[in-house]
Amino acid sequence: MIKFENVTKYYANTKALNNVNLLINPGEFISLVGMSGAGKSTLIKLLIGEESLDEGRIMIDDIDMTKIKKVDLPYLRRKIGIVFQDIKLLPRRTAFENVAFAMEVSGHRKDQINRDVPKILDLVGLLHKKNNFPHEMSGGEKQRIAIARSLAHRPVLLLADEPTGNLDEVNANEVIDLLLKINSLGTTVILATHASDIVNKLRKRVITIEGGQVVVDQEEGKYQL
Amino acid sequence: MNYFISLFRIIKNGALNFKRNIWLAIASTLIMVVTLVILSILSLLFIVTNASVQTIQERVDISAYFKTGVSESRVLTIRDELNRDARIKEVAYVSSEQALINFKERHKDDALLLESVDELNENPLPATLQIKAYNLEDYPAIADSLNSEKYQEFLDKVNFEDNRVIISRLNSLLSFIITVGLILVGVFSAIAILVIFNTITLAIYNRREEVEIMRLVGATNWYIRGPFIIEALMYSLIATIVTSAMILPIYKNLLPQVSNYISPGIRIFDGGLQTFFMVVLLQLVIAFLLSTISSLLAIRKYLRI
Repeated sequence: MIKFENVTKYYANTKALNNVNLLINPGEFISLVGMSGAGKSTLIKLLIGEESLDEGRIMIDDIDMTKIKKVDLPYLRRKIGIVFQDIKLLPRRTAFENVAFAMEVSGHRKDQINRDVPKILDLVGLLHKKNNFPHEMSGGEKQRIAIARSLAHRPVLLLADEPTGNLDEVNANEVIDLLLKINSLGTTVILATHASDIVNKLRKRVITIEGGQVVVDQEEGKYQL
Repeated sequence: MNYFISLFRIIKNGALNFKRNIWLAIASTLIMVVTLVILSILSLLFIVTNASVQTIQERVDISAYFKTGVSESRVLTIRDELNRDARIKEVAYVSSEQALINFKERHKDDALLLESVDELNENPLPATLQIKAYNLEDYPAIADSLNSEKYQEFLDKVNFEDNRVIISRLNSLLSFIITVGLILVGVFSAIAILVIFNTITLAIYNRREEVEIMRLVGATNWYIRGPFIIEALMYSLIATIVTSAMILPIYKNLLPQVSNYISPGIRIFDGGLQTFFMVVLLQLVIAFLLSTISSLLAIRKYLRI
């Protein structure tokens, strides 16, 4: 469970987030919508400890983000998968190696890696591309590899920050379908986006942010900006 | 989390950094070699000179030869008197009998000499006191007091070999080596730190994508920093090996000659490898220190965790 209590974040003198209160239950699929600069990315950065909040409190399960120590952040980040608009795959590594990379940094043994990575690649439907390099794949495939990498630690929460931002409709749909599939397997998904057609098709909970404040929070919501 | 696997991967990534950055790695290693060569040569010079000073100092003493017929109890009284002198470290008594035994031992191959000694009716060798002082500066004064009237009737001769000039020359050579050594090693260490700092900074820049992803997928801080430190430590390890290989022939061949030049006839330097390994250890410590300092500086400045 993720809880935002009166969360406020300043950049210089402007309030990027203003008194945000949210409750996200395990297993939910949430679309976080808003214009550029509304505060979506700030919210995500606070969740992974990239930024520290100025007022209020964020709880991720029993972890208080206001009190977390810098040395403990890596362990928190293993519970949270993150996917970005710019994908961030390592260009000189194959699909397999990109996913394995996430497992290597957390000290998994080689045999565990060789056992788990194909399963994850199969989950995102790209096992047949395991030896391909990122430049040999389409945008949607690359993003699915990035999602596979974010799943390597079996996160409880998957944050997707504009994952379809650079993709055409077909590729975008593939990525969204994959996020839905992961959500159906029990992972909480937060999808930050400003693609209205995607949000409207999802028929899931929609949280709309405007000027750093939550203006709409609806079950089976629509894109309303 | 398996720490052993992580440590292995950190070292592997460090070696990979080294390989990817090969030309700068070579430059860093070379500047480290120059620093270590200077350090080693100066420390070897220091060791030889210092050993020479000590050996010569140990060999300085005053020998007081007694006239024949002075009773042993008188000699011992004088010895006890001298022992009470605060400047004097020790007084060794060599009786004339002992002196004869020593003499025969020393010339045991010279049958003619031994025969002629035996032909004498009495022992020709005098009893002696060998006096060592705590400080070199005190020797002339002690020698003077032995030459005074008080001892005139018992002492035949006071022998004092004044090595103070040589010793003071060696001491000024020592302080010269230390001064020049510290300046040179300091300057080259600073250059080495700068070069390694830049190399590691570039390595961090080259791997910025990887570093960013590592952070996002939950790599610990030391897992991210470790390879850059390992890379720098590799420069020092290789530099130490190269330097040692270069120094060994100097150590084996040149150093005995230098030692012989400084203090002819005294074998101070036996070419044993113990001193050499001490110098290698010194190199390794200094090299690791330089690498650690510069890589930590680069990481602190450019690696955002």
